Amino acid sequence: MRPRLSIYGLTFSLPLLVWQLLFFVAPLAFLVALSFWTVKNFTMRPDFDAVNWITMYGKPVFWQAYATTFALAASASVLASVLAFPASYAIAFKLSDTARRWAVFLMVIPFFTSYLVRVYSWQIFLSDAGIVNVLLGYVGLGPYPMLNTVGATMVGYMTLSLPLVILLQLFSLVFIDRNLIEAAHNMRCGRVRTVFEVVIPSARVGLVIAALFCFILTFGDFVSPVYLGGGDPTTLSILITDTTKSGQQWPRAAVIALTMIGTLLAVAFFAVRFAYAGNAKGARK
Amino acid sequence: MSSEAINRSRAVDWSLRAYIVLAYAFVFAPIAASFVFSLNSDRFPSIPLGHFSLEWYRAVASDPLVWQGLGNTLVIGLIVGVVSTLLGFGAAYTDYRYNFFGKQVYLALALLPPTIPVIIMGLAMLAFLSRVDLSGRAISVIIAHVVICAPFAMAIIRLRLSQMDPALEPAAWNLGASEWATMRHVIVPFTKPAIFGALFITMAVSFDEFAIAWFVSGLNETLPVKVLGFLQGQVSPRINAIGTFVFVISMTLVILAQVLLSGRTGPTAADKE
Amino acid sequence: MQRDTLVSFEGVIKRFGSFTAVQRMDFEIKKGEFLAIMGSSGCGKTTTLRMLAGLEAPSEGTIRLSGKPINHLPTWQRDTPMVWQSLALFPFLNVRENVEFALKMRGVGKAERQRRAEQWLDRMQILEFADRNIAQLSGGQRQRVALARSLVVEPEILLLDEPLSALDAALKVRMQSVLKNLQRETGITFVYVTHSQSEAFSMADRVVIMSRGVIEQIGTPQEIYGAPRTRFVADFLGSSNIFTGRVRAASPSAVEVDTPDGPLALAGGNLPAPPRQGDTATLTVLDTKTHLSVSRPTGQANVVPVRVIGEEFVGATATVYLETAKGQEIRVQKSHDELAGLPLDIGQELFVHWSPADSHLVAEA
Repeated sequence: MRPRLSIYGLTFSLPLLVWQLLFFVAPLAFLVALSFWTVKNFTMRPDFDAVNWITMYGKPVFWQAYATTFALAASASVLASVLAFPASYAIAFKLSDTARRWAVFLMVIPFFTSYLVRVYSWQIFLSDAGIVNVLLGYVGLGPYPMLNTVGATMVGYMTLSLPLVILLQLFSLVFIDRNLIEAAHNMRCGRVRTVFEVVIPSARVGLVIAALFCFILTFGDFVSPVYLGGGDPTTLSILITDTTKSGQQWPRAAVIALTMIGTLLAVAFFAVRFAYAGNAKGARK
Repeated sequence: MSSEAINRSRAVDWSLRAYIVLAYAFVFAPIAASFVFSLNSDRFPSIPLGHFSLEWYRAVASDPLVWQGLGNTLVIGLIVGVVSTLLGFGAAYTDYRYNFFGKQVYLALALLPPTIPVIIMGLAMLAFLSRVDLSGRAISVIIAHVVICAPFAMAIIRLRLSQMDPALEPAAWNLGASEWATMRHVIVPFTKPAIFGALFITMAVSFDEFAIAWFVSGLNETLPVKVLGFLQGQVSPRINAIGTFVFVISMTLVILAQVLLSGRTGPTAADKE
Repeated sequence: MQRDTLVSFEGVIKRFGSFTAVQRMDFEIKKGEFLAIMGSSGCGKTTTLRMLAGLEAPSEGTIRLSGKPINHLPTWQRDTPMVWQSLALFPFLNVRENVEFALKMRGVGKAERQRRAEQWLDRMQILEFADRNIAQLSGGQRQRVALARSLVVEPEILLLDEPLSALDAALKVRMQSVLKNLQRETGITFVYVTHSQSEAFSMADRVVIMSRGVIEQIGTPQEIYGAPRTRFVADFLGSSNIFTGRVRAASPSAVEVDTPDGPLALAGGNLPAPPRQGDTATLTVLDTKTHLSVSRPTGQANVVPVRVIGEEFVGATATVYLETAKGQEIRVQKSHDELAGLPLDIGQELFVHWSPADSHLVAEA
């Protein structure tokens, strides 16, 4: 018997629904309303004016930041996927069950260490007198300025996303039927070719989802671009904090935030469609 | 795997293993460095190492603001853990037990928040909470953290429920237990390890979250927000000391959760034969 | 043996969305009987049981327990304990706590709970495992815990949903006799859902055969086996040869049916309703009631020329598979002694014959 509505059922269903409507949906909805408010003399006024959208979308700085952020997040997704794949492939296919469990457990640890602390730690490695330059100095190289570069931002992005990308790739790889791989070998498909013709298509959904999560994480991150990239070039997240912390320009920050959400939704939509598009012909996982 | 053995090449295998080590080295380098330099005397950490020193821990321990931040973090983390776990349990049970119109929307609300960038969540939260006069207080951090933590709790408890024999709940009803009695005597005991797992994981997530807390906490800074403050100021190995300290707390919680979650799966697996 | 009615289904229908799982069901369960409900998966047998247990509400109709309608009584207010296919033992409770569960829910005091639980554990011969975890028990021991857990409230009726399906063959047979004896000794009405003919026929006093939400036949195992009422039942039991044809002549005492393989006769007394001339008719004969001979037997009514297409040995008996010139398949089951001396090479031509008194007309649907 499955009663539609009962006090018992509602006791369990309603609290989360109410909480998320009040404190998740409402703030995001308020953000939409806020983007149409106006600011006069450093005070916000409820309004319905497209001025913030027009102002922001008319600024080259905004589009520059948008392009930078998008390009950085996209490169990070590709880079993380490429860097992660050999590792997750090896963990999935070359390790014993026990070793694999340990590998997964170790990869979970970074999620529970402070991202801020890890980024600070990278400063120790990358600064002009940092560990890497000292090591290079021993062999007569450098010092190279590494901190406050796009490369350092990328290192930060990898710190943020690599563990998740490896885990997500790994989960899609371990579910591949090993018989598929043996069948491919059996049909004279070489090792490398098997990876491209069998393994990657079979794990396609997981690989795309992993890249998507990397995009989501890095697209909104402000820690790496600020503390490793030195705030230059400006990303959308930096633009948001600058806009809010200076002069009550919250409605404009809301415009940036909504544009980011819109972008993420669009990217997620296309990524998911792309992930499942090949399923009809490719092997299902 | 052994059947594949003849198709393997030693060189490829070893280079792949070396690559795994490299990947883990990259991931753990900053964590390890932070630990090492928290115990190192140098003002500007680099190599060669200075001498062993606890001065950064002393510096941190003597900073009343750090203690205040830690207090805030612990109180907020505890409350966030309890509330998120309660809400997550309700949502997980709802998903397990009921089918209803709009369930997809319900699940989206229950699971989506962690995918929204924290900076946007922080902005939206601050804007909204200051509008309803709830910003700049400890409770604002709690509210915001529960939004992103409840989905983790839900996922963990839902996973446990999916390991439960679907006949268990009706079997209890059939033996004369009302729905409430079944909840108390069957569902809760069965999911207990996941409930505590969820409690510890959500506490750990709240402990480390800094962006949203930074936006909405006002004067009630949590420890991670304090770290952000240090980071914005001059570079200081005090961050390493705090980081190591928070890492130890978080890992304790995670390992506790891990033990609870993996410890008692035997009976259900064997139950199905 | 005249028994009182314990449960009655009156015009019960169960729909799930647009799918009708049980279609207008009317039948009664007698006090103290062992009733098996049998059918293939999706036939509505489990839904029927779940409605009786109060786990599903009927869409239409009334279910009565001891004369009182129970349609809207929640399952926890009924005394209709069930033994589940998965057993559904509580993994976080030990054996004793599992058995005490129902008593605890009924507010029975601790000492009384313990006494009654131990009494049933003892009766099921598992008292020594009382403090073990469920995970530490064998399949057969779990089965006994599940039975004790349901019976400890001493109900009038016990529902069993394929409880033996997870056991291996030998244990299954042993548990069948445990169940049958338990039912006899306690006098508790057992309603046993199964897809297994051997379980149903070896334990039950009466069997209900269902197909696609409809009751095809209710009767004792002998009645059903000897005279399947519908073509579905004959097919399902798998022990009848089935012929279809047109009625050539019908009288209250005999019917003759034209089939592609010639006229076949059956004696009266086996007619559910006298057919009319020209009707389509389906008749059956058990494979154990058919006989083989090398030459055409004389003075026999039902004789069909056949060819051997195969042979299968099962223990003391053998089944010979034959085919008529028109492609109709016929099976003959005999002991090895009875087949001795018959040439049974593939392609060998033989004659099948049987007595009109062993033929039955069955309903087509």
